[in-house]
Parts: sequence; C-alpha cells; structure tokens
Amino acid sequence: MLKNLIQPRALAAAAVVGLALLALPLAVPRFYVYMFSLIFVNALLAMSLNFVVGHGGLYQFHHGVFYGIGAYTVTLMLTKTALPAWVGFAAAPLAAALAGLLIGVFCVRLSKLYFGMLQISLGSLIWAVAFRWYSLTGGDDGIHDIPIPQFLSAPRPVYYFILVMLGLSLAVLYLILKSPFGSTLRAIRDNPERCEALGIHVRRHQLIAIGIATFFAGVAGVMFVVVESSVFPGLLFWVLSLEIFIMCLLGGWFTFAGPMLGAAIIVSLKTFVGVYTEYWTTIMGIILILLIFFLPEGVMGFLLEKFSDRSDRG
Amino acid sequence: MLEVIDIHKSFGDFKAVTGANLKVGAGEIVAVIGPNGAGKTTLFNLITGQLKPDRGNVRFKGEDITRLPPYRICRKGIARSFQITNIFPRLTVFRNVQVAVLSQQRKSTVLFRPAQLFAVEETRAILKTVGLLGRAGDVAGSLSHGDRKTLELAVTLGNRPELIVLDEPTAGMSPEETGATIALIRQLAADRGLTILFCEHDMKMVFTVARSIMVMHQGQTLIQDAPAAVRENLKVQQAYLGSSRHA
Amino acid sequence: MDAGHTISLAAVGSHLLVGLSRAMILFIVSAGLSFVLGVLRVPNLAHGSLYMLGAFAAHSIAALAGGGALGFWLSLILAPAAVALVSLAAERALFCRLYEREHLMLLLFTFALMLILGDLVKALWGADYRSLMPPDFLKDSVQVFQSPIPRYNIFLLLAGPLVAVGLWLFTTRTRIGKIARAAAVDREMVGAVGINVSWVFAFAFVLGCVLAGLGGALMAPAVSITLGMDHDIIMEAFLIVTIGGLGNLWGALVGALIFGITQSFGVLFWPQFAIVFPYAAVVIVLTLRPRGLLKSVW
Repeated sequence: MLKNLIQPRALAAAAVVGLALLALPLAVPRFYVYMFSLIFVNALLAMSLNFVVGHGGLYQFHHGVFYGIGAYTVTLMLTKTALPAWVGFAAAPLAAALAGLLIGVFCVRLSKLYFGMLQISLGSLIWAVAFRWYSLTGGDDGIHDIPIPQFLSAPRPVYYFILVMLGLSLAVLYLILKSPFGSTLRAIRDNPERCEALGIHVRRHQLIAIGIATFFAGVAGVMFVVVESSVFPGLLFWVLSLEIFIMCLLGGWFTFAGPMLGAAIIVSLKTFVGVYTEYWTTIMGIILILLIFFLPEGVMGFLLEKFSDRSDRG
Repeated sequence: MLEVIDIHKSFGDFKAVTGANLKVGAGEIVAVIGPNGAGKTTLFNLITGQLKPDRGNVRFKGEDITRLPPYRICRKGIARSFQITNIFPRLTVFRNVQVAVLSQQRKSTVLFRPAQLFAVEETRAILKTVGLLGRAGDVAGSLSHGDRKTLELAVTLGNRPELIVLDEPTAGMSPEETGATIALIRQLAADRGLTILFCEHDMKMVFTVARSIMVMHQGQTLIQDAPAAVRENLKVQQAYLGSSRHA
Repeated sequence: MDAGHTISLAAVGSHLLVGLSRAMILFIVSAGLSFVLGVLRVPNLAHGSLYMLGAFAAHSIAALAGGGALGFWLSLILAPAAVALVSLAAERALFCRLYEREHLMLLLFTFALMLILGDLVKALWGADYRSLMPPDFLKDSVQVFQSPIPRYNIFLLLAGPLVAVGLWLFTTRTRIGKIARAAAVDREMVGAVGINVSWVFAFAFVLGCVLAGLGGALMAPAVSITLGMDHDIIMEAFLIVTIGGLGNLWGALVGALIFGITQSFGVLFWPQFAIVFPYAAVVIVLTLRPRGLLKSVW
C-alpha cells in the first residue's frame, strides 16, 4: 500500500528531512528551536489553506479566522474551565471545523470572488467580536500566560510536540489528497461545471474540503498556543490570512510540500530581516511582486519543473 | 427513453429556445441539426440541467427530470460531452476518466484510502475502448485537440450512462479522426446498447450515423423523422440547407 | 446596556447625522473601490493605503499652505492629485503587465502594493499621530436637534452627494466614462471597437484611487491621522461594496449608508460592541442576499 502512495524518491526526501528535524534541537541554540516551532505552526497553517486553495480551487480569503478560532478555543478551555488540557486540544480543531462548515455553507453557494468576499465579511464579524469582548477574549489585548500543561514548559518538549503534531497532520492530509476524494477535489478545481455533469455533488465536496482544511487550521491554532502561550485578535485579522496565502504562493500551490517551504521562508525572513529594519513589510511586498512576475508556480513548483521530468501535480 | 416537450428558454430579451420537442427511443442514435444559433447547445443544456427552462418538460424513462441539478440528472443515467472541450487539464488522462468512474461508483468521498485501489479496471477498459490507454499517464492538457475530444468522450463513458448526449463530438477534428470517432460511436451503440443523442455540423456524418434527425430553426423544432424523410422535407431545405448554401 | 441609560430623541437625531456624514466618506472611498472592481474585476487591497496617503498628504499640504481656508481647499485638490500620480506610476510600471494573468495574481499585486505603501507613509511621515484642524469657517458646531453637530460633519454631508452626482454624470455623460462602464460589462467588445483597453483600465484604476485619496483628504480634519487607518477603511469599503453589489455605484451608496448608520447607532446603544453592529448588518444582508442588495455589474 505504501508503494501505491508515495514515490520512493519523495519518501526518501521526507525521511531525510524528518530525521534532520528530529536531531535539530540537539545541535542548535534555544532561539532556533523556538523559531523552528513557529515555522511548523505556520507550515501546517499554510498546508491547510493550500488544501482548499491549491487543490480545491476555492478562494478561501479568510483562513486565519479558523486558525484564530482554534487558538481561542483551546485558550478559553484552559483558562476558563477545569477540564483536562487534552479536551481543549481536541475541542479546538473541532470548533474551527464547525465554524468553517457554518461559514462554508453560505460561501459555497457563490463562486470565486463572491465566495472570497463573503468569507471575509463573515470572518470579520468574528474578528470584531473577539476584538471587543473584553470579558471573554481580553479584547485587543488578547490573553497571555495561558496555563499550558506542565510537560510543555520548555522549548525542546514544545518543539517535539509540535513536530509530531505537524507530522501526523501532514500524513493525514497527504492520504486524503491521494484518495478518491483528493482526485475528485482537484477535478473540481480544474472544472467544476464538468464535475457537476459527471454526477458529482460539487458543493458537498467543497464543503467537506473546507471542513478538513479548517480542522487543520484549528490544529495549527492549538500549536500556536503551545508555542506562544498567548492569543490576540491579530490571529483573526484578514492581513494574516493574506500572509498565509503568500506562503502558499511562494512555496508553490500546485505541489504538496510547497506551502511548508513558503512558510519556512516567510517566517525566517521575518525573524532575521525584522531585526535589521522596521520596514519588513516592504521587503515582503517586493518579494511578492517578484514572485508574481518571475515565479508564479512558486519555489517548489519551479524546482520540481526544473529537476524532475514529471511533477507531482497529478 | 428521453422526451422533451415544448421547452422554452430565453436569456433576457433573447429567445434561445422557443418550443423544442424531441423523442429519443431506447438504443437509438438521434441527431439534432440546425444552423448556428438555432439553439442546439441550449437545448442540450436544458436536457442535462446546466440551464433551467422557462417552460416545458424533460422526461427520462418516464420520470420528470426538469429542473433537477446536473449531478442528479447524471445519476439518472444521462452523461454528456461539451462542444468546447471540457476536461481536467492538470490531471492525467487516467485520472480524468477515473474521476468519472469514481463518481458513478459513489466513491468520490472516500477519504483515507489511496485512489489507486479504486476503479482501475473500469478506467483502463474505457481508455482501451477509445484507444487512449497508451497515453494514460500523460497530463490531459498536453493532448492534441483530437485526443482531447476523444478523452472527453471517454470521461462521458466513465459514468456508465444509458443515454449519452454529445455536443458536436467531431468539431475541429481531422477527417481521419472524424472517421475514427464515427466508428467509435457506432461501436458503442452496438456493443453497449447505448442510446446516443448528438448534434453536429458535418451533414455526412449526421446522415450516415443517425437513425432519426431532429431539425431546429430559430429555437423551434421543425421536424423529427428518419433521415430519408428529413432529406425530402422541403421546409428543411429552405430553412437549413438553403441558408447554409448561401452562407 | 447600562440600566437607567435613557436615550433621548435628540441623541438619536444627532447620531443619525454623524452616522450619515461618516457614511458619505465611506461612500466616496467605496465608490472608488467599486469602480475599480467593476472595470478591472480586482478588489484593490491597496485602496485603504491610498486613502491613508491622501490623509497624510492633506495634512502636509495644509500645513505648508499655513493652515486656513486656502490650505484646506488646496489639500482637497493636491492630495488626491498626489495619490493619482502614485497609482498611475504603479499601474503603468507593473500592474498593467498583469491584465492577461490569473485573477488571483492581480489581487496579490494589490496586496504587495498595500504592504509597500504602508511602509512608504511610515517612512515619509513617521509613526506619530497627527491631527488637522478644519478651516475657520468649518470649525465649531451648530445646534441641530438641540444637540451640537460639528460644522465639518455638515460639510461632509454636502460633499458626499456632490461626489455621487459628479461620478454619475461622469460615467453616463462622458465618452471615457461610458467606455469604462462598457468595459466593465464586456471587455472584448470594447477591444473590438478599437479602443485601447489597457488605457481604459489605467484610467479606471487611477480614478478609483483618486476617490480613495479624496476620501482621505476629506476625512483628515475629522479624525486623527495615523498609521493603521488603512486597514480599517479597506475592510469597511470591502464590506460596503459586497453588500451593495460588486461594481454598482448606487450599491456603494446604499452599503455606505447601512454601514455608517449602524456604526453610529451602535455607539449610541451599546458602545462596547459598536464595532460589531455594522459587521452584523453585513452578515444579515449577505445571508438574505449573498450577491448584494443591488445588481452587480458582472
């Protein structure tokens, strides 16, 4: 079955990267362990967005909202209830998926740009509530010093915890993309009208895809809380959503692993360039323009095109 | 098997179909002809649900399917191809057909098992029938125009339909490709007992393949009859053959 | 809601007026966004940044002209002109090369522009708050409904309809305006008639941006001018255009009125959640009419 699923070369590459990441905390200073944890969070976030954008062809413009809902859900469960931590960890992705489906039901009735605009509107409502509901969400200050479980109090355990969550999530996402559902989803992306004429209930498939993507956005939200022990309304803000979009575009949105590469590039650039200049967003803007003009298929798409005779698009 | 009864459709002020009637018996090959703009494609879109009629009915196997969404109509056993080639350009040839077969087998929501385990034999059989098995691994967007048209037909077959609706299946094909496609359509009708409804500009093809021909003009059905009778019909010569000769 | 907090009719009236004047600014900005959206089919994310640029430019121009009425009028002319120059440069240098590309690329370009323009304003003017006094004849308040309404708000109430009528005349009575509207509906046709579509797009883009700049300049004396004002306005304009119907000028007006008035009444009835009211109104509208209240142009 494994042979059916993944090419030997890709499997080997994944194994090498995985092993290197497992060994990494033993070799680098604390700060990098933290930075890599942050990269993993953003990597999963970008992967989950790309599931609906790159593979599903939906204009999911406000994906950040579901990330934020995941983060806020786990935070509220940890701070306001006496339930065990794992309940919060499990509830967060479910809450995100529920919100995704709820908003999705309205959005999938519409196509392309209307879909995106409606999602931004509905998402902004959630942002506005979180931004103002001081007694519950801490308003624009957010909530800090969240009591995450004891065993996750040092950077290294956090790193490994996040890495395992990322690995598991990726495995599931990969499996789904290789499934009959994954094939159908890509067919819908390429040509929804044709799919409809093939007896495929397009909206239902799109909703399922949104449910899956927002579930993993929720997982990323939990991971964020584990790394940072805080939440703030910026997580739900539309600017963040567009940043995730850029990660997908930068990495290559018709590839599987591209968005992770994009997330790694953006997070590390932000970390290193942010130290030297306060004009970090200009640099991001310039990168984006260069991408649009010179690498529309993204870094990973470009590399695959260049170094392999067949890309993993199929 | 299929019956269209006095169907109407307009887009704003433009009346595209104004009273079309059509009967397709089980196992028949029926052609719809008429000059450009006669409303043939609109009629097909009304039958397969891409458009909703303003008035009139479509019945399939005795059941009213008017205004059902396309995916429901497809599940009743009607599959179609499109005039403007309508495939999945980023997917491989194999996947193009497999998606249709998966849909027909109601397997398109299987999430956690690899697609390679599903519908492989059926897909390969269809590709073999249409002669595209050798290109199964190629990305569909890289095919020639004729091969894309053939792939479109193959995708249509993936649904295991009882009735297939083909909108200009040979448009833009070379004479050899056209010949091959005609042979293929005849073979499908004979081997699989498929009922076929198509429209076409190539009159030679229409009169050799079709058992019954419906003539449309300005959105209306003029006549539906056997080819010989249609040829004889004066009204047709004026409306269609006459005008196309001068065009 | 606070118990015992009674709301007088006068308070309702004055909030209505303030809401209406706010709606006028929102309308001017959204009309620009909507115009670009209608013709180019691109939601211009940099629109808010151009609004901010207009506000900062208005502040500097008024200060250079020594305040007063002259500075005020000059700022209303020169700040939008500056925005026009910036947007024209961006359009001709880069944006116009993307018209044949996928839609998402155009959208992402405007996002890049937004990121860069935000930093540009920061570099030119710094991160401090600024405020601009209205000219003498628009200072102070007048009594309406037994409560004071700033004269400047009254001025805005007049400016909004003026711009609306101007825009309407422009798009229905002038040749270039008609062509731009036609391009919104059917761009192949316009190309076939032998009109240079690229320049029509450039024109539409710049006109839309100028409206953003004008909105910023008009708003400058009424708010504190600060970095981050771009993020708020662009989201509001987005929602207004969506509920009004994409690309529909009158839709932008209706949307702006809904947004401005719900916001204003939100402040009156439940100050803490005032920000939520307009968003909730948007959600209600879109649940009932997902494609907006008025007919979209495409």
